[in-house]
Amino acid sequence: MTVGPGKLVQSILPLACGMTLTVALGNRTSAQQQTLTQHAPAQSAVTFTRDIAPILYRTCARCHRASEAGPFSLLTYADAKSHARQIAAVTKRRFMPPWLPEPGELKFADELRLSDSEIAPIQAWVEQGSVEGNPSDLPPMPKFAEGWQLGKPDVILKAAQPYALPASGSDNYWNFVFRAPVDRTRWVKAMEIRPGDKRLVHHANVLVDRQQNGRRQEQEPGAGFGGMELTIESEAFDPDSHFLFWKPGSIPYVEPDGMALRLDKDTDLILNAHLQPSGKPETLQPTLGLYFTDKPATQHPILVQLENDRMLDIPAGDKHFVVTDEFTLPVDVDVLAIYPHAHYLGKDLQAIAKFPDGRSETLIHILDWNLNWQAVYRYAQPVKLPKGTTISMNFSYDNSDDNVRNPNDPPQRVRAGNRAVDEMAHLWLQVLPANSVQEKEDPRIPIVEAMARHNLQKNPEDFEAHYNLAALLMGRGETQEAIAHFAQANRIRPNEPTVNNAFGAALLAAGRTEESVPHLTAALNARADYFDARYNLGNALASLGDFRGALAQFQVAVRINPEDANAEANLGSAFAETGDLKQAKLHYERALRLNPNHQLARENLQQLSRGTNPR
Amino acid sequence: MSDRLRSVRSFTRVVIAMALLCSASVLSTDSQGLAADLDGKPFDPLHAAAGKVLVLIFVRTDCPISNRYAPTIQQLASRRADQATFFLVYPSRKETPEAIRRHEKDFGYTFAAVRDPQHILVKQSAAQITPEAAVFNASGRLVYHGRIDNLYEDFGHARKTATTHELADAIEAAAAGKRLVGSATPAVGCYISDLE
Repeated sequence: MTVGPGKLVQSILPLACGMTLTVALGNRTSAQQQTLTQHAPAQSAVTFTRDIAPILYRTCARCHRASEAGPFSLLTYADAKSHARQIAAVTKRRFMPPWLPEPGELKFADELRLSDSEIAPIQAWVEQGSVEGNPSDLPPMPKFAEGWQLGKPDVILKAAQPYALPASGSDNYWNFVFRAPVDRTRWVKAMEIRPGDKRLVHHANVLVDRQQNGRRQEQEPGAGFGGMELTIESEAFDPDSHFLFWKPGSIPYVEPDGMALRLDKDTDLILNAHLQPSGKPETLQPTLGLYFTDKPATQHPILVQLENDRMLDIPAGDKHFVVTDEFTLPVDVDVLAIYPHAHYLGKDLQAIAKFPDGRSETLIHILDWNLNWQAVYRYAQPVKLPKGTTISMNFSYDNSDDNVRNPNDPPQRVRAGNRAVDEMAHLWLQVLPANSVQEKEDPRIPIVEAMARHNLQKNPEDFEAHYNLAALLMGRGETQEAIAHFAQANRIRPNEPTVNNAFGAALLAAGRTEESVPHLTAALNARADYFDARYNLGNALASLGDFRGALAQFQVAVRINPEDANAEANLGSAFAETGDLKQAKLHYERALRLNPNHQLARENLQQLSRGTNPR
Repeated sequence: MSDRLRSVRSFTRVVIAMALLCSASVLSTDSQGLAADLDGKPFDPLHAAAGKVLVLIFVRTDCPISNRYAPTIQQLASRRADQATFFLVYPSRKETPEAIRRHEKDFGYTFAAVRDPQHILVKQSAAQITPEAAVFNASGRLVYHGRIDNLYEDFGHARKTATTHELADAIEAAAAGKRLVGSATPAVGCYISDLE
């Protein structure tokens, strides 16, 4: 190469900057460009050891090393030289490292973004012939923990069966169901997700399934099941509020004290994995490593969801279809993380916070959405949003032929749905509500209520919103309004056992016992082993004086859950009412063994002892 | 019939002249300027395919896009075995015959591979990317080089399935002795490194 390196750098730089200008940054002042030029090592030839290795070590090596997601290592000079032109091309286009958000005021943790002053020397290095340079310039190679990143986990869960990923075909989505091996409630401070061969996995999400929804979708236990999106229902008020996300290069996140994830007995963990065929048949058998803490959660983050699936009805060929939603915060919150989500037509995804004082701030902006590189973005510092702040979501979609990712050829009308050919317009924010001193209410409740009411405004037929609102009102003792929303949820999905049970329980609480029976019965017709519905129906029948009927329900209930002291105590009472005092005593005693402080069982047992032993 | 024969002959003459122009430097470097089979023996696919359409497919063991194409490439090679002779070409000096044999087995390739550490075939084919295909007609003239199909439009911009099939079209045309309209469509994948 005869051209002097100084001259070469100059001739390359405008090109590199030009790319950045159009692709990523929008407007830049000439002063800023001046700064960029000065950053590039223009005085001498760019070398691997001095200029390139530090960049590769910082941004590439995490994935580009053995057993990680990168298809080849980028640790040594030989590695880098062998892929030099590729490195230049993918960094210049900002395809690598994969990082979708535009740089903004708010910083994300682990931002994997190359600066302009890192991209320019890479281009120059390759143009100059990928020179190694002085070995003494080489910085120490980064040290990566081998094996489990946080040391040996307290519990390692392995998927019951491997999944066979075919050699070819388009993207593939598979769900693995893990039975949590805990015999009591435990607190999880961290979870390492090991999806298997990382080169096959674009990203993976773990969802906490307290109702075993997922395993009912398995053809046989442990087989897992297909599907891009998961809907997990939970009847307890415990919003699934932790992002358990894996993407290439991610390091397991350790929750701070007081924010651990609750894991109950009989909870399932579902790993939803987005897979890509590699060209040869592969098998995946993911593992999860759980790290427990003795410190229960004292702070409860919540996921605020913006969405507008009802607006999603994109005409075939539409290049710029916009979907929006706005949600106003009813309390002060700290935003910890953000997760925008669309499928293959998503293009420009943006979320903005408008403060009560009129200021606004971009929470995230992605110019060229790529489903494959989706991620949960955690803010470097929690973002404080005061009560009254309006969060707005603004997503645009390209359903034309120009969008090569369009799964339909030719383009079709696309609506919301869970399949890859459907679309989504979702934005989740993990927020920590400020603890209000005066109110005793869980600070999450106003948010859940505001979200449910907002969703009902958008869609009066929103089943989940009716149900959530009803459950919340019930918890607050506003039984009448709760019953109204349960009734709506029940009208929309008449056979949903969860709703029938909760609706029945609400009617029972309101003294409308006779009306509760058909709903509780319906819940049991749909799910015979539904403990709560058995228990509630037993109570309803007992209230109506049908003690034989109640007895039958409680007998089944204690078989379903032999560790519930209330069911045992009520079974005892049902026996007592039907005259079988011997059985009654037996079950009161069982209730007391399960819970020595069970007031009702103790009192009834004492009464029984006095009555049957007249001394 | 005689008409067709005549036109083919004149076509062939032009082609020979072109081929000489293109490979003048190659010929002068003689046997060391050849690709090699997996046993290390000098090997010239053009010679091996003499009289038949030749398809070279440039691949790399560590290129994810190239690997993802393996089922497509193998299927093409099987289905069009009567129309053309296929070779896989591994252009990286770092990829040893053992690694290539393992790669072929893992990805289900059943046709022969050659190594091209000196980039003789890379230059003859004007190849830049893996995966990239080069089609030489029965007279040894490069009639197409570029992408296999349009599955990838750019890095990170992949279709669900390809809608155009440039390589298959090129083979079809070459086998029928037809001239191609577009003879080079850039491929998307991993750059072939400079000589290592």
